Amino acid sequence: MKKIIVENLKYKYPLTNELALKGISFEVAKGEFIGIVGKNLSGKSTLCQALVGLVPHFYKGSYGGSVIVDGLQVLQSEISELAHKVGIVFQNPFTQVTGAKLTVYEEIAFGLENMGIQREEMKERIDDALKLLDIYQFKDRNPFDLSGGQMQRMAIASIIAMKPEIIVLDEPTSQLDPQGSEEVFKAIQNLSKQGMTVIMIEHKMEKIAKYSDRVMLLHDGEIIDFDTPQKIFSRKDLNDYGVTAPVFTKICKELEIKNEATGLYPITLDETYDLVVKYNA
Amino acid sequence: MKALSLYQERDTIVHKVDAISKLLYIGISIAISMILPYKTVGLACMGVSIILLLIAKVFKKVIPLIGFSMIILLSIIIIQGLFRAGNKTPVFHIVNLIFYKEGLLFALEICIRVINILCAFAILILTTKPSDLIESLVRRGLSPRMGYVLCAVLQIIPQMITTMETISDAQRSRGMETEGKLSVRIKAFLPLIGPVVMNSLINTRERSMALEVRGFSSKTHKTFLNQEQNNNYNKIIKIILILLLLLAITWRLFI
Repeated sequence: MKKIIVENLKYKYPLTNELALKGISFEVAKGEFIGIVGKNLSGKSTLCQALVGLVPHFYKGSYGGSVIVDGLQVLQSEISELAHKVGIVFQNPFTQVTGAKLTVYEEIAFGLENMGIQREEMKERIDDALKLLDIYQFKDRNPFDLSGGQMQRMAIASIIAMKPEIIVLDEPTSQLDPQGSEEVFKAIQNLSKQGMTVIMIEHKMEKIAKYSDRVMLLHDGEIIDFDTPQKIFSRKDLNDYGVTAPVFTKICKELEIKNEATGLYPITLDETYDLVVKYNA
Repeated sequence: MKALSLYQERDTIVHKVDAISKLLYIGISIAISMILPYKTVGLACMGVSIILLLIAKVFKKVIPLIGFSMIILLSIIIIQGLFRAGNKTPVFHIVNLIFYKEGLLFALEICIRVINILCAFAILILTTKPSDLIESLVRRGLSPRMGYVLCAVLQIIPQMITTMETISDAQRSRGMETEGKLSVRIKAFLPLIGPVVMNSLINTRERSMALEVRGFSSKTHKTFLNQEQNNNYNKIIKIILILLLLLAITWRLFI
């Protein structure tokens, strides 16, 4: 079943002359983990915001084509209606704190209160989300007293507690240390295995290569390629689009070590290890 | 974190009473002292408020509040004592300024009322979390948007102050003088206020997006994480308060 269907999406921000998205079309199935890569200003964030309805409802501007998310036509739906289906986590954790709640626990409840969830269920969901992101021990702290990384986990938890069917993450681990971002990736992968559709923008290519089912390469508001991470990162013209392959792929490209079966370069550590051992044998 | 609130965390009976009862108490204790313009009634209301403050263990925090209003109250006492129309009976004199009984009594009445109002409000402000107060108002029909604004102001202003401190530290570390004479301080203030305002405007846009995607403008009926403290004991307090008000009105009308 297709969760997201985007057809020829074009969008221009108000007061600008150039299209931010130039006719994008793609489909995403339920439970897929999609990574979006591309250099700055390539339209990654705009595309993500188009999935949750912030584009065009929040920014206005000119809009063409259609985005259908879980059967809802974005152009005809309100953001609060879409919020039941799709959640988004932004880059800056600080501005995602509502500022109206005194504890982390209440902060996560904010979205659930707005959705009209009953108390008992609310508590269950909040506990689950806090434990999943490993911030349960901070539940009684003031949200502003958390560190950047903890705040980022809280931002993710507050969207996960709303149980959307699709979650969009815009560089969700920018403030986290390597261990923290690995944990967050694992938590998100778990959700993805449970059937949640994940769309993620990320600059840490090793992570994208390891976790995503398919990778979308964006450049200048257009989709250059949308395929398995092996195929995307084996492309010879990656540098032209301001994207670097995972470090394992780079090494193997230089050494010309390819996976015989697929004719593609390896993208994860394990895969590389196997191939290098075989190469040396 | 610094919070923009006078709330004092204590574990007393007064803290457990719900915010609406306290609001009602403010209204009624002011109304009663107006409806029954006797000093004894005014003193009684004031006494009750002070006893409640003592039970809540926050009386110390009220003293500076009363002290601050003393400046105004003193000027009332002096002016009324000296010049009130209808002043007849001299009480005492300082050099050749004569204070009269009628004026002083009138000033006393005003003082009692002002302190009464202050103490009644202090009960609400010192013993209720602002967020609880706002939440109970939202439950009773205050628009959630308004409620959000009230809550957010209390947290975001201290945040802005922190941002200001960070920016001024950054500027100081690059050699700008921010301390010393008034003219130096003013000069340092101008380059500081620009980034702070821009920063908060950008933050506001991002924050409003984050609120929207969490269903802020959703039309479904809102639910609440915290249970309302609506036990019998709070109901009894409200009923007693309303009965007292009715009693005061009948007293005034018929006696």
